[in-house]
Amino acid sequence: MAQKPAARKTNPSGGVLPQVLWKKTGGSYLLTNDAGHYAWLKEKDFAAITAGRLAETGPLFAELASKGFIRDRLDFNDLAAKWKKKNAYLNYGPGLHILVLTLRCNHKCLYCQSAAAGLGAAYTDMSLATARKSVDFALNSPAMGITLEFQGGEPLLNWKALKGTVEYARKKAKTRGKDLKLALVSNFSLMDAEKAGFLLANEISICTSLDGPKDLHNKNRIFTGGNSHGETLKWLKYFQKKHAAQSPDYRVFKPGALLTVSKYSLSRHREIIDEYARAGLEDIFIRPLAPIGYARNLWDTIGYEAKDFAVFYLKSLDYILKLNRQGVVIREKTAAMMLDKIINFQDPGYLDARCPCGAAIGQIAYNYNGDLYTCDEGRMVGWAGDDLFKIGNVFRDAYKKVMSNGVTRVCVVSSNLEAQPACARCAYKPYCGVCPVYNYATQGSLWGNMPSNDRCGLFKGIFETLFALLKKPGNAAILKRWAGK
Amino acid sequence: MKKQEHEKNIVKVGLKDYDLDTVRYAAYAVSDAAYVFITPAGKGAVAVEFTPKHQPVTGHQSPVTGHRSPVTSHRSQAGNLARRFREELKDEKIRAAVFDANRDLREFMILKALSYGTAGAPPEQEDSGLTPEQEKELDALIAQVESEIKRESAGSGTKDPLGITRTWEEKYGAKTGRKKN
Repeated sequence: MAQKPAARKTNPSGGVLPQVLWKKTGGSYLLTNDAGHYAWLKEKDFAAITAGRLAETGPLFAELASKGFIRDRLDFNDLAAKWKKKNAYLNYGPGLHILVLTLRCNHKCLYCQSAAAGLGAAYTDMSLATARKSVDFALNSPAMGITLEFQGGEPLLNWKALKGTVEYARKKAKTRGKDLKLALVSNFSLMDAEKAGFLLANEISICTSLDGPKDLHNKNRIFTGGNSHGETLKWLKYFQKKHAAQSPDYRVFKPGALLTVSKYSLSRHREIIDEYARAGLEDIFIRPLAPIGYARNLWDTIGYEAKDFAVFYLKSLDYILKLNRQGVVIREKTAAMMLDKIINFQDPGYLDARCPCGAAIGQIAYNYNGDLYTCDEGRMVGWAGDDLFKIGNVFRDAYKKVMSNGVTRVCVVSSNLEAQPACARCAYKPYCGVCPVYNYATQGSLWGNMPSNDRCGLFKGIFETLFALLKKPGNAAILKRWAGK
Repeated sequence: MKKQEHEKNIVKVGLKDYDLDTVRYAAYAVSDAAYVFITPAGKGAVAVEFTPKHQPVTGHQSPVTGHRSPVTSHRSQAGNLARRFREELKDEKIRAAVFDANRDLREFMILKALSYGTAGAPPEQEDSGLTPEQEKELDALIAQVESEIKRESAGSGTKDPLGITRTWEEKYGAKTGRKKN
């Protein structure tokens, strides 16, 4: 009996897609899934796949099948492995522990969200007893890797506590079998050879603030005791030299710097990036001002609209790529971390953009008096008079109680993207995260309203740009190097 | 007030085509630009009313992608809202079908992912209750027995003296094809 001619084989799932998210951009559709795979489809192909008419024989079908976008061709092992790798943080407790050693500071930065106290406010110094108790608390986390970050104010103003805490933490971590990392965020104005020697010998990684060229930096970061920009560059170079030379006795980390974009920075993206490149910094972390804590009260003077920052950020990204093409090694940190998720299916440890966010379950901020907050931003809200994000005190509360209290839970629930109606439908969900503190400070609710949320708008802009850049082979090669570092 | 009325825009949606949840989610998606009110509009339909929140936007060009957002007037802003809402409705209908069809599959996948590769570190060896000397003696005895077994099987020329690995056909010959009555 003669057979009927074989029909052209089509998507055997009969038009039902597996769990995918999509976004129409221009004439194309970006498809993503829980595992973190992405694919671009033309409009006609999207229509074909949703109607079950996509030919099985073409390369597009093979690509989509390999990435988990064809329901009857799901490779569960591959998808599960990628999902697990991308969400590895779910298996750990809080890894980042921020110790606010003092609220005192010798700088009066225009944007200082933590509203530093004056030099005479010694009552805001953390005592060694509180610091030790904080270390004990931090080591209760089930995370094998614990990072203690010393912050302020200016933490070098409480050198005695810093030194004592480092020695205590090293000893305790050893007995508890934890992998301890120590980090310092300082403006360098009080750095000297003795302190630097101690920091290096104890393998403490060092980060400072650099806001751009001298006039801009000093305008943002007012230092009555001298030239903030000069001190910053001097000690950056010192630690870079030590890093290049290394030591036979200990590891020397490369120093890093953070950029805070003020209203005065908006028109100067090139000069700022050039300053970073000249200073030998290979990373620039472009961070917007957040209207949180005291910065909220000063918003009219120092703030700007989210769209202004977005333009600044995207111009900066464009310029950094241009420098990369000329052989300059520099990358933007937010983009690099997002790319790590998109390209490598990896959790880069970016606590602000994960699901659920890192509040309490990824990081804890320890105030000078032992009060515990979900994160440093939560502490800033507390310092401005609203203790909503306070989750306990190292002297009074046990680790288990802090981890299971109402505030910790509500931060987890409200930053779960599955429970955010807009996020659960967003193509960028596999790589993104919301911030309950930001939502609370700007929109009056921990959940916020994502369609009108400036942070959401900014992240969407960054993702849109990164995916558009990844489409172009020349840019993609550069961006893959950023993610691979 | 008159002006406000003028800026309002109402879209009627039949609940036969789109269920109420779909309408709600689509309305939420445009809540960046408008206050949205959903009210009953006769049997099996709802009226979705948009009141724009902001002044019309001016065209903004992305410095990297070059995409330019459209310049809008008050009237076209209201029109854009209705158009965006209708597009969201269509998308949401597909999404709802995708979510429904994959709920179990997705739960399975995530459960699998959560338990993937959690074999972890090898379990600690149980205490045998033997002294180190006794442990050594036992290890030596096991090694001796193993080497004897090895020697014996090498000497016999075959690793299967009882023919356990041989098939039925190899032992008793092929089937004849006849059935016994």
